[in-house]
Amino acid sequence: MARVGVFVCFCGANIADFVDVPAVVEEAKKIKEVKYAIDYKYMCSDPGQGMIRDAIVAHRLTSIVVAACSPRMHEKTFRKALSDAGMNPYLLEVANIREHSSWVHQKDKKAATEKSSDLIRMAVAKSIANEQLHEISVPVTKRALVIGGGIAGIQAALDIADARIPVVLVEKSPSIGGKMAQLDETFPTLDCSQCILTPKMVDVASHPYIELLPYSEVLELDGYVGNYKVKIKRKASYVNFDTCTGCGACWQKCPVKVPNEFNMGIDKRKAIYSPFPQAVPNKPVIDAEHCTMLLKGKCGICAKVCEKGSIDYAMQDEIIEREIGAVVVATGYDLWDPKPYEEYGVGRYKDIITSLEFERMVSASGPTGGVPLRPSDGKIPKSVVFIKCVGSRDEAKGIEYCSKICCMYTAKHAILLHHKVHDSHAYIFYMDIRAAGKGYEEFVKRAQVETGATYLRGRVSKIYQKGEKLMVRGEDAQIGQVVEVEADLVVLATAVYPYKDNPELARLLGISYDKYGFLSEAHPKLRPVETAKAGIFLAGCTQAPKDIPETVAQASATAAKVCGLFSGDTILKDPMISKVNTDYCSGCQNCVTVCPYQAIVTEEIPLGHGSKEIRTVAKINEGVCQGCGSCVAICRSMAIDLAGFTDMQIINEIVSI
Amino acid sequence: MDYTKQIQDIAGRLFSENKIDVFIGYRNTGFDENQVPVLINQYKDVDQLLFTDKSVFNLANYLKYEHTRNKRVGLVVKGCDSRALNLMLTEKQVKRENLYVVGIACKGVVDETGEMAQNCIECVMPDAVIFDEMLGTPSGRREYQENADVRELDGKTLTERQEYFEEVFESCIRCNACRHSCPLCYCAKCCIDQETATLFQGANTTSSAFHALMTWSLHLAGRCVDCRNCEKACPSHLPLHLLHKQNEKVIYGNFQEHLAGMIEEDRGAFYKYSLSDPDDFIM
Repeated sequence: MARVGVFVCFCGANIADFVDVPAVVEEAKKIKEVKYAIDYKYMCSDPGQGMIRDAIVAHRLTSIVVAACSPRMHEKTFRKALSDAGMNPYLLEVANIREHSSWVHQKDKKAATEKSSDLIRMAVAKSIANEQLHEISVPVTKRALVIGGGIAGIQAALDIADARIPVVLVEKSPSIGGKMAQLDETFPTLDCSQCILTPKMVDVASHPYIELLPYSEVLELDGYVGNYKVKIKRKASYVNFDTCTGCGACWQKCPVKVPNEFNMGIDKRKAIYSPFPQAVPNKPVIDAEHCTMLLKGKCGICAKVCEKGSIDYAMQDEIIEREIGAVVVATGYDLWDPKPYEEYGVGRYKDIITSLEFERMVSASGPTGGVPLRPSDGKIPKSVVFIKCVGSRDEAKGIEYCSKICCMYTAKHAILLHHKVHDSHAYIFYMDIRAAGKGYEEFVKRAQVETGATYLRGRVSKIYQKGEKLMVRGEDAQIGQVVEVEADLVVLATAVYPYKDNPELARLLGISYDKYGFLSEAHPKLRPVETAKAGIFLAGCTQAPKDIPETVAQASATAAKVCGLFSGDTILKDPMISKVNTDYCSGCQNCVTVCPYQAIVTEEIPLGHGSKEIRTVAKINEGVCQGCGSCVAICRSMAIDLAGFTDMQIINEIVSI
Repeated sequence: MDYTKQIQDIAGRLFSENKIDVFIGYRNTGFDENQVPVLINQYKDVDQLLFTDKSVFNLANYLKYEHTRNKRVGLVVKGCDSRALNLMLTEKQVKRENLYVVGIACKGVVDETGEMAQNCIECVMPDAVIFDEMLGTPSGRREYQENADVRELDGKTLTERQEYFEEVFESCIRCNACRHSCPLCYCAKCCIDQETATLFQGANTTSSAFHALMTWSLHLAGRCVDCRNCEKACPSHLPLHLLHKQNEKVIYGNFQEHLAGMIEEDRGAFYKYSLSDPDDFIM
């Protein structure tokens, strides 16, 4: 016979002001199985938990209902109280009478009280069918995979490796470094980006616990938290990295010229190339799409000039498999394509460039030697217009969100322009200045005072050519007038946009992404580093626009999460997962297709007792199952049940009211 | 439409070449003009087989029973039957390599009055979509048309419809012939019979029949191929197609004109996920 204890919480005034708690307790006492019911001001406090512990023993209770806040808040707390009293923690049910009742029915105390009683009745009915559950212990492979070798991936890899955990770092391009390697100086301190980044890149290459796989892509991820298997494609570089010394003879002699991605296409690179002088690894790769030897079988100059004989035109893509326990995704971002801004003449006027193109020009190692030049005639611009929020915060043409970093880097660009071209003047069209961060507001002030940049609050409506100049017409909202600025160069602060392959990668990893393509965290506030899939973490702009300090902080946070996950030899998993009743399973495998975690496989069992014939039924992989219940809903035979939310429990709930 | 000779020849050939253990076809009842399904397991019985416009039953249904499990089976399928077979293959209930499928380019079968059956008039795919050998000249896919009875029912108010169904389901005797006759009702134990299914239990009341039939029709939603085996099997002559055709109409309108079993490896509309699925009913 079930003996249920009901504990109703006032939650200070949160519940008590809108729900007649003593009446709810009296109502609960009328339920046949309820042997004990009591209220308390704060059930989650230590004395409150003590009441539960004492009552379990004193009244020989078989299941517990706590009527309080959302189970997301304190389910764990109360489960622990049950454990401490020697009771299986999964015999707890939480009736959420705060979010589901008192908060949403503040204008009708009577109805809120009745609803609270109903919620308790349901929880009592469900708890009677609760079963003892035990956490599942899963072994862990202590090796981490980091996807993406920008500053986020580099930081995560270094922090994890410093904890003596092996890391596999996969980078798609020939060198690690990412977008940060393309930057000149960084706000708000104007550190040289390369100077602070390249030592970390070298650390990655030389770290005994990091296996660096450049020019590689993740193809498949199987398994579950602590026990993933990853398949990585190492693209053919056509250069033997073991013997290559990176002397550069090959790319000096290569006759094929290709637009240089690293410099945003402002200059050319060769078909055999290393993206930039500080590249790690500093070995060239052959771009198979442009190499004439690979395309037409003619040329072969690089092989001739290579003293080490490192060029191998017959090299094939290689598939590498690794067993890993956790994944850090740090794929970074792309820049939004400003093409929809036709009124700006994007694509028509050569002297309209993006912020990253400007960044490469003012970089000392950039294609113009650190001096901004007009793409049309190569002259040094004196009047430069910067337009912020190109794509960002524009529901009509771009995206709704704020890209977060543009206010700051545009201020930086104004300062850099002033440093490189002393007699220049910067005009900045902006909507707001968002400079929340340590030293950020001061930095913007510095740009305004030191460089004398003209900040014009308003949107640009049109850009047109007048002789050699571009005329930028916009509104200055502060004086309420239309202004026209004569510009030699226009720089668009294009929005931070999700990395284009994120949706594909998310599907491959089994994690979710938002409507833009940013990968989704498990909880926007309380779990900003985890994904909904256990053991997969997010670092940097792959999740949302971020600046470098935030990206590094999040990367280190992922490292802490990985180290925490790997701190024991096994990990404990929530037992609220699906299980298959093979007697009822007809093997249609619809559950296999709907499972978002690839947690369902098939197994062959005898047709009947002692039968030699076999039949195929579904089987849940306990390590992978997250207990979402999709398979339960899809199963026509009702052969799958979710522990903690069994059909019987749900039906009990329904028939109790 | 008469393929009797060809089917006898094919079955004879398959038995003499030892390619099959069982052939599923049609034979005369022996006492009237109607036909019944027959399972033949030897060469000398092939002359019982026939196929005319009275070959109404869906033979794919007989693949779900012990008689045919793990045996090499030859069978005759019309357009609708072949779509059910397609789903059985997708849902792993039969192995393609165990089957020899004789597809019919169907010209329609008749109902008990001798007129062409309603589902044949409204048929979208008369030709078998899966076959090893095709008999007749395929006439191709036809345009989807809404069921005439469903359209009539749609004209009624909700209360009228409820009253109608409550009255109709009154005569259900819960004999389960509908699900035994359905090729896609192959579950090891039907959910309606399970102990947790308290909503269906108890006396044979109108409400329990209503729940059972509604659940059954929803389990066939996006899967039913409109072969009407269930209606032919029902001793109470319930208009079961009203449930299935209503589901089909809603799914056709909302899920990219989905029709069950038309394509190989295509699971029912509710068993796959597409970004373009409608979500306007989700709050």
